[in-house]
Amino acid sequence: MDITYGTVPPAENTVYRLAGVSKIYRKGGREILAVRDLDLDIKAGEWLAVQGKTGHGKTTLLQLLGGLDRPTKGRVEFGGTDLAKATESQVRSVRASSFGFIFQTFNLVPTLTAAENAEAALIPLGISHANRRMRVTAALDSVGLGDRAQHLPAELSGGQQQRVAIARALVKEPRVLLADEPTGNLDEDTRDEIIALLDTLWRERGLTLILVTHDSAIARRAQRIGVMSRGRLSIREDTRA
Amino acid sequence: MFFLTYLRRELRRRMRQAIFIALGLAIGIGLVITVMGASAGVKTAQAKVLRALYGIGTDVTVTTKPKPPSGRPTTGHANATGPGGGPGHATVCLNGKCYTSGTIDTLVSGDHGALSAATATKIAKLHHVSAAAGGLLLTDNRIVLPNTSSSQLQPPTSTSVDGTDISHPRLGPLSNASLTKGRTFTNHDKNKNVAVVDASYATAHKLTLGAGVTIANTKFTVVGIVTQPQASSPPQVYIPLERAQALATDPATGKAMTSQINTVYVSAGSAADIGAVQKEIQHLLPQATVTSSSDLASEITGSAASAAKLAGALGKWLAVLVLIAAFAVASLLTMAAVARRVPEFGTLKALGWRSGRIVSQVLGESVVTGILGGALGVGLGFAGVAIIDKIAPKLSATVPSAAGGGGLQTQVAGPGGASGPVTGAGPAASHATIAVPMSASVTVTAIVLAVLLAVAGGLLAGSFGGWRAARLRPAAALTRVA
Repeated sequence: MDITYGTVPPAENTVYRLAGVSKIYRKGGREILAVRDLDLDIKAGEWLAVQGKTGHGKTTLLQLLGGLDRPTKGRVEFGGTDLAKATESQVRSVRASSFGFIFQTFNLVPTLTAAENAEAALIPLGISHANRRMRVTAALDSVGLGDRAQHLPAELSGGQQQRVAIARALVKEPRVLLADEPTGNLDEDTRDEIIALLDTLWRERGLTLILVTHDSAIARRAQRIGVMSRGRLSIREDTRA
Repeated sequence: MFFLTYLRRELRRRMRQAIFIALGLAIGIGLVITVMGASAGVKTAQAKVLRALYGIGTDVTVTTKPKPPSGRPTTGHANATGPGGGPGHATVCLNGKCYTSGTIDTLVSGDHGALSAATATKIAKLHHVSAAAGGLLLTDNRIVLPNTSSSQLQPPTSTSVDGTDISHPRLGPLSNASLTKGRTFTNHDKNKNVAVVDASYATAHKLTLGAGVTIANTKFTVVGIVTQPQASSPPQVYIPLERAQALATDPATGKAMTSQINTVYVSAGSAADIGAVQKEIQHLLPQATVTSSSDLASEITGSAASAAKLAGALGKWLAVLVLIAAFAVASLLTMAAVARRVPEFGTLKALGWRSGRIVSQVLGESVVTGILGGALGVGLGFAGVAIIDKIAPKLSATVPSAAGGGGLQTQVAGPGGASGPVTGAGPAASHATIAVPMSASVTVTAIVLAVLLAVAGGLLAGSFGGWRAARLRPAAALTRVA
């Protein structure tokens, strides 16, 4: 698959604003500072790659951005809403409508087909069954799995499973795509395919893409690379230039 | 739609576990149904005994204790006292008169004292009483004295006799009987010497319609033959109350029982009124013994009572314990299943699913498993009841006899001068032991209870699992994936 790097989407509007964010875990009487005093703005349509060693806070940062966890202190503003202070119901609502998640282990429900897994992301939105079906078909087509809609995850390859996970993330037409090591469980060829797909979708849909990865080759495709080290984030601008 | 698809797929994936949980619930529910069926069977058997004692429509009976016999030897139990007559004829003394030959035939009131016939009318007027009828439970004692000194003195015979109030056919012992031959009493029979006899008595004494049966030296014509339920200890001969009153002797006074009764059969306005009826009668007749069906049930002894206690106590607790164990196992297995699905539920939460939606998914799966267990349990319950029906031995019930004693206990001086009691048999005894067939059955109540238990079991198991699923923080759940 040819990969082209077109014009970077306009990124004037700030979608995320993080100020003084820290996250402390308590484990066995010990305090672990996973994220410390982090300030970060992310613009709409931006691709930010987050790198760093294992245990240095990459995934914690992604969970804070995705409203899956709350900071110990600081503000995580998304579209004007502070996810640190919002009610659980408000955060859940933002997650349901605005965030698409892609996980390293795909996290598909093993008893549901590819179509049903994608449909699961639409359940919280309360849209009609017919509309759900239509959007699921379109999402699976966009990741090249239109003919595998009725297959169970166990009947699909790793790459295909991750494509289903991407379809599940995209089917709700989110503003932000949060991907945690999306190629970590894939071979090299499949990794390239998935990254190419994400790149295309990012460009075509104007998504804000925040991607956690160990792989520097993948990270270099992002507009900015953030490196997490002992809970602190340092940013390197415009890696594509 | 999505809910059902997800539920069906998940149950199919965990089919073995679902079947295991369902089987556990089924055993508990099956046991509950079996115990309830057995308990209902024992209760039905007891009810048969009680119905046979005082009739179908009777809720309460009223009796009094007999007064002690008067000073002269007019013994209430027709105690015939032998003076120890020495060599020669046997001598029997009764009511101050001694006999050495012939037949002595007396009709006496048994364990119950005499009441005025007006008592039944007074009771019938009480607020919560629907109807009341008087009756006479009597014993006809018969001694045939030998004509010669060489002849052996035969043991006395006793026959239980019921003086039936013909105007209240729905109350009293005869109300429970089924007519097999002839007819029952009509209003024209009030003062006629006609009798209805029990089929067993008729067979034993070779009585047919039109035959004669002697009560208190009076010949009664048999106009009907009846059977009572197998479990009963029925009177052997029924005669019109008016004729019984004319022929019977009150042991306390030695006089005829004209205008007297010794039992009042009372029907309450409703089952809920029985307690009130008892209080009203007790207020009206402070000396009377007022007995309800439940009082009588407590007097029943024998294997029927033991079975009732077994079904009521041990069976119930066994069923409760098995149910608790089944519910606990179902809850633990459901929680374990939820623990295995933490990543799945964490992902769904990340997708924006409400905790309630995830809980309802878990609950739905558990309830379906519970209903499956309930259906299996009902089947097991039917099987258990059928097995009990097949293998259950006949129960025995020792009940206070309706005839109420009055048996002839006669001390007879034999030809050799030896003196000893000769006791009348059969109905004369104040307690009778009878065989009670036990027939267990599955009741609608038991099935409804089973369904409710199944749903409750499913909800209980699901709520534990659901509670655990609801508490999951998405970040923690997803960390478990990693």
